Amino acid sequence: MSNVFYEKFERHSHGEGLKGQSTHYCPGCGHGLIQKYLAESIAELEIQDRTIAVSPVGCSVFMYYYLDVGNTQAAHGRAPAVAIGHKVANPDSVLISYQGDGDLASIGIAEIVQAAQMGIPLTVIFVNNAIYGMTGGQMAPTTLMGQKSATTPTGRERLTGQPMKVAETMALLDGTVYVERVALYDNKLRMRTKKAIKKALQVQIDNRGVGFVEVLAECPTHLKMTPVETERWVKEAMEPIFPLGVKKDLDSDPWFHLEKPSFEPDRIIEVVGATSEETDRHCDGFPTHIDSHDIGLKLAGAGGDGAQTAAMLIAKAAVTEGFDSTHIPSYGPESRGGTSYADVHVANEEVLSPAAPRPHLLVAFNAPSLEKFGPTVQPGGTIVYDSSVIAEPPELDPSVTLVGVPCTEIARDLGAAKVKNVVALGALQAATQLFPRETFLTSVRQALRHNCAMIELNEEAFGWGARAFEEMAGAN
Amino acid sequence: MPTGNTRTRPKPFVMPQFCKACGRCIDACPKDCISLGTQIESSTGFTPVVLDLEACNGCGLCFSACPEPFGLAPVPNEFETELFDPAKTFGPRQSTAIEPVAIPDERIPLPDLEPLVLKGNHAAAIGAILAGCRHFFGYPITPSTEGAELMAKLLPQIDGVFVQAVSEVATINMMYGCGGAGMPCMTFTSSPGFSLMVEGISYMIGAEVPGVIVDVMRGGPGLGNIAPEQADIKLLCRGLGHGNTHAPVLAPSTPQEMLEMALLAFELAFKYRHPVVIAGDGYLGQMTGRVTLPDSMVKPGMPEWAVWGDEMHRGNLISSIFLAEPDLEAHNIRLNEKYERMAAEEQRADLYQCEDADWLIVACNTPARMAKGAVQKLRQEGIKAGLFRPITLWPFPIDALASIIDNVEGLLVVEGSNGQLEDELRLAMSHAGIRHPRIENVRHFGGILPSLAEIVDKLTSLLEVAA
Repeated sequence: MSNVFYEKFERHSHGEGLKGQSTHYCPGCGHGLIQKYLAESIAELEIQDRTIAVSPVGCSVFMYYYLDVGNTQAAHGRAPAVAIGHKVANPDSVLISYQGDGDLASIGIAEIVQAAQMGIPLTVIFVNNAIYGMTGGQMAPTTLMGQKSATTPTGRERLTGQPMKVAETMALLDGTVYVERVALYDNKLRMRTKKAIKKALQVQIDNRGVGFVEVLAECPTHLKMTPVETERWVKEAMEPIFPLGVKKDLDSDPWFHLEKPSFEPDRIIEVVGATSEETDRHCDGFPTHIDSHDIGLKLAGAGGDGAQTAAMLIAKAAVTEGFDSTHIPSYGPESRGGTSYADVHVANEEVLSPAAPRPHLLVAFNAPSLEKFGPTVQPGGTIVYDSSVIAEPPELDPSVTLVGVPCTEIARDLGAAKVKNVVALGALQAATQLFPRETFLTSVRQALRHNCAMIELNEEAFGWGARAFEEMAGAN
Repeated sequence: MPTGNTRTRPKPFVMPQFCKACGRCIDACPKDCISLGTQIESSTGFTPVVLDLEACNGCGLCFSACPEPFGLAPVPNEFETELFDPAKTFGPRQSTAIEPVAIPDERIPLPDLEPLVLKGNHAAAIGAILAGCRHFFGYPITPSTEGAELMAKLLPQIDGVFVQAVSEVATINMMYGCGGAGMPCMTFTSSPGFSLMVEGISYMIGAEVPGVIVDVMRGGPGLGNIAPEQADIKLLCRGLGHGNTHAPVLAPSTPQEMLEMALLAFELAFKYRHPVVIAGDGYLGQMTGRVTLPDSMVKPGMPEWAVWGDEMHRGNLISSIFLAEPDLEAHNIRLNEKYERMAAEEQRADLYQCEDADWLIVACNTPARMAKGAVQKLRQEGIKAGLFRPITLWPFPIDALASIIDNVEGLLVVEGSNGQLEDELRLAMSHAGIRHPRIENVRHFGGILPSLAEIVDKLTSLLEVAA
């Protein structure tokens, strides 16, 4: 009989004495049989070198003592997650996630449901013996109604739940291709179990999905019966609640395939958006007319106003010119709408405090933003606000320059309300000379390099914003 | 099913010491050849079955009813009763796994690249890619999610794998599997998510599985908020799950360092076969800044201990179980030695104007930037302040501090938590036997970080009182 058990169980108490050749399982325990059929199936399918067995927590925690395959021992309930980690690391490996009823259906229910729904090819062996074995006979999710256990001393009743039908549940999930419930109490069923295990491995080898076998197994010790009595109990008490049979057997195509990861430097550089191409610089030096070494900006509006994008364009422009820059976004809890503030710093050498509680420059897209942050602007600073939205700016420090530009109207006239932030940037540039116009436009072009059709519109928006300021300044 | 006629089908035999007397074979035999014995086997205390094979037709049903690998078995062709050595009796096994050898990493040079403008989270993700990470597992949580999102976008373009796990618990266990397979993998999370991961991190430490976890610390306790705090320091340095656990904790303070720490974290994770944590704060995750890329990238090799799923690595085991107490003590001693090696070799700190400083400001992450600004301001006012910035929070860079502490009047610990950084500092000084000077603090909680002005005011007022 060919199988893949170790010749000597070195990991079982260092293989000393009888432990070198006998398992730690109690007499009559179902685990021994199931692992025997696994060992035979692995040998027959010739996948010993590809197989990784994930031992769970529970009585089968020491499965790695016995199976001569790659072995990983997982935390309680997490074997399917561990198996997924292995499988995506090496898609050619064959993963066995072996779990008991407490492991799979109680503490690990989330992990098995994800695995069975995702359908990354795995083989799951689920050993249902209606009891917690290793911890000493407590109630399992599969414990029968009325069944006594260490934590249901008078028998399981409604308050402690009802036996969970795992195979049927797994069959409902989209990632399983083959689900069967089998048992071990007679010769015919033992043959059937072996076949089911082999098939559950085959569907994985074929890259089709999850093969799931639930085995009704005997735990004579905690059922406090002889092994033969336990076989009868499985037949007479368990089987009516957990009917045997194939729950799902899809005729599906292989789908799972992963390419070998790329380590081509050119490809990596492109993907991370890096380039060796230098961008032209247009600044003569740091805009010291605003601050000697560190300029704070705040851009504030509602979500969707484009404050963050505009902030990002300023930060990129600054870095392109060789300065340091930071941008911190701040949002309300809403995914859309709500408030959206951006703090930006541009420093000659290094930004130290990235928050901008006292900005030199403020761009406000709505009245609440202007009211909130207008008074925080440093004396001599500049505020650009959207005069299409804010009709009456509040009274502010007279040393602060207020620039009202109808950003929304201009953007609408251009046929794209969302470019109002670029209109505001144009006005900001013209009003403050933070950087030369071409610096900003380069930043805009780079941001849109994958969406070139939008470049012209954005350049136009920027130009209109600048012109709006110039007209205003001329009029004053 | 055994095939062939009765003459060639082998009959069973059993070695009494491997029979647990469960009796499954008795039930399985259609010819009633097997019965429970009466003789107690002295080596086991069980009463093994006895075989009376007169009626046996070699159907073989008893073999597949026996739960023991070395239990009932077919009589080998040349069976000799003296030959009761199981290794010989049960025939050869395929235990031919070859000795695994490590395949080293490859360093691939990169051309000169223009600096990028990146969010801290994005910088760490790109750092991971350049460190050779092609496997990401994660669960969305603000303010760390942009890292996961960028990985979800970029990894498929370079034939990597992004898996959104069902929870942080599943995440860390997927990392346990992938890291156990010898592959560099990572996740991004934030404080509540990190809390969920600590059991898994303890398993990774116990089983010596590498992996990189970025914790972008947010306000707590509980759901708290999504603004920056540094109140996971205690958890990261003193509470990485149950057992004797420690792991390197790296504290970047700029998007540039988010990238650099990601590179360092993978290096340490594989050097020590250990998880490594990058502790950022909410600002750092969200903050955009200038990031210069390194001059090389890594193509990872394959460690010899990996459970990869091939012939070479078949003999390997990833496990944190050591059932016998002496075995687990020995394992702990080995881990403790590893921690000592980390403490000796991996302490990192950035010292700014510390040489002649009377007062040292101790700060990490984003608050260290404000602290640096405060040092500049204080120096302008003639106050000799310096910045001591731990880059490794564990191991705490006590050696660098010890070398300058003698001339220091006081330490001002600036942090976004209720003394968690200060506790690390005090503990490290205590262990090192350093008589510490006066320790003062500037602390904020709930998503507010200490400001430059507060630091300056605090130190100025301390000095005024002293004067």
